[in-house]
Amino acid sequence: MSGNLLEVQGLFAGYGEVPVLRDVHIAVGRGEIVALVGSNGAGKTTLLRALSRVLSGTGKLTFEGRDLSCLTPEQVFKLGIVQVPEGRQLFDQMTVLENLMMGAFARRDRKAIQETLASVYELFPKLYERRTQRAGSLSGGEQQMCAIGRALMAMPRLLMVDEMSLGLAPVIVDQLLEVLSTIRKQGVTVLLVEQDVFAALEVADRGYVMETGTVTQSGTAQALSEDPEVKRAYLGI
Amino acid sequence: MQLLAQVLVNGVLLGGLYALMALGLALVWGVLNIVNLAHGALIMLGAYVGYYLFTLLDVDPFIALPIAMVVLFCVGYLLQAGILNLIARAAMFNTLLITFGIDVVLTQLAQMLFSADYRTINPGYAGANFMLFGITLPWVRVLAFAVALLLTLAMWLFLLHTRLGRGIRATAQNLGAARLYGVSPKRIYALTFGIGAALAGGAGDLYGVVSQINPYIGATLTAKSFAIAIIGGLESPLGVVVGGIFLGIVESLTALYIGPTFVDVASFGILVLVLIFRPNGLLGSTT
Repeated sequence: MSGNLLEVQGLFAGYGEVPVLRDVHIAVGRGEIVALVGSNGAGKTTLLRALSRVLSGTGKLTFEGRDLSCLTPEQVFKLGIVQVPEGRQLFDQMTVLENLMMGAFARRDRKAIQETLASVYELFPKLYERRTQRAGSLSGGEQQMCAIGRALMAMPRLLMVDEMSLGLAPVIVDQLLEVLSTIRKQGVTVLLVEQDVFAALEVADRGYVMETGTVTQSGTAQALSEDPEVKRAYLGI
Repeated sequence: MQLLAQVLVNGVLLGGLYALMALGLALVWGVLNIVNLAHGALIMLGAYVGYYLFTLLDVDPFIALPIAMVVLFCVGYLLQAGILNLIARAAMFNTLLITFGIDVVLTQLAQMLFSADYRTINPGYAGANFMLFGITLPWVRVLAFAVALLLTLAMWLFLLHTRLGRGIRATAQNLGAARLYGVSPKRIYALTFGIGAALAGGAGDLYGVVSQINPYIGATLTAKSFAIAIIGGLESPLGVVVGGIFLGIVESLTALYIGPTFVDVASFGILVLVLIFRPNGLLGSTT
């Protein structure tokens, strides 16, 4: 299992005295798209917060074999673990271009930043069209593109996308999922955290199902989406 | 007519300097959500830096200006890194208390070190004027006005077009998201407060040239800066310039037609009116 990019073993974490995550085990391999699905309140976002060290917890967290538990959020970010936060969290008053450039805030390599910017525009031609527009004036789908583009500007090795589909039309969600596949082909590993279970499993290689703070099922995306238990819980069939 | 024109010009010239004074306060307020009650004291310190450079080392006040700004930047950076970061993003009341405390300490220190005497920075060209369309223009005031506007413009360009300026604006708009992309808020806060203090220092140096200084000028200047920031709005440096010039004109007109003792009544009366009718500032959005 040491070939995994990210490994989480026996993670407990929570807010104050209340543990939200109980004994969570997940692994993400290089170049994979892994879906982390489950309903609202299952602890998915808490897991992301624990991974990015905004929230401390006990258990083993390793990224490329490096122990994350003693690092600050800034150090975790520098290793290449980058989040696309839930609700997009754009800088609304700033232009699309400025938002993208904020993703590269920690980078000093001007030329390489311009190259990344060009590749983000290639991935999202809409963002290029709208580059001088204020991010707050974009449509929901464009805002999500901007949020993903901003994260890509940080040159992530592991991109953690939180509730990408929230509030978006299914056709837009499909487009964005396709983009994630493209990003993966470019060598970025993706951890996709979703309430929209079946949309996420469509593009993922493997998946984990979380319920009330722990992983209840895992397997290949195909196996999970055909699993009667998962179908009953999330499709009501 | 001639008198009115002269008074208006005086008001505009004074207003440019007011704008520079308020700019640092507005910046710190907008980014850190701190109404810095020690802002006037920082202006006062800047004025004394200019004064001592001039009297002891014979440095021209306009050459002393960048020095005063650097000194005050360091003072501001250290204040934020050492004290104010402890209460970053705390309730407004806590920040008011602490900055009020800093104001008292700085004012008392200034009185002990510099004495309570009135001082003025008085270069040889201090009394020189030139005439334009029958209006008398004192050189130092025109220069101070031009420098104040240039600094405001430079500040604006810095915020709009540099990496750090972007970081400062992003932190002001969405702290959580800024942190996700490697922005260290404490560094940005210290930097922002340092820049605010540097602007205060520059304004203080200019103030010492056009007016008299003593350790107690801070409180009034904080209040004026506050009023200008409210009148102009916190959204852009342009608003602060409009607010500053507006206040300068109002004060000059009041001094002429109503009486010099009513200057503060007029400026703070307008502050109240703006708060009632245009709470986002003269240029601010009405929604």
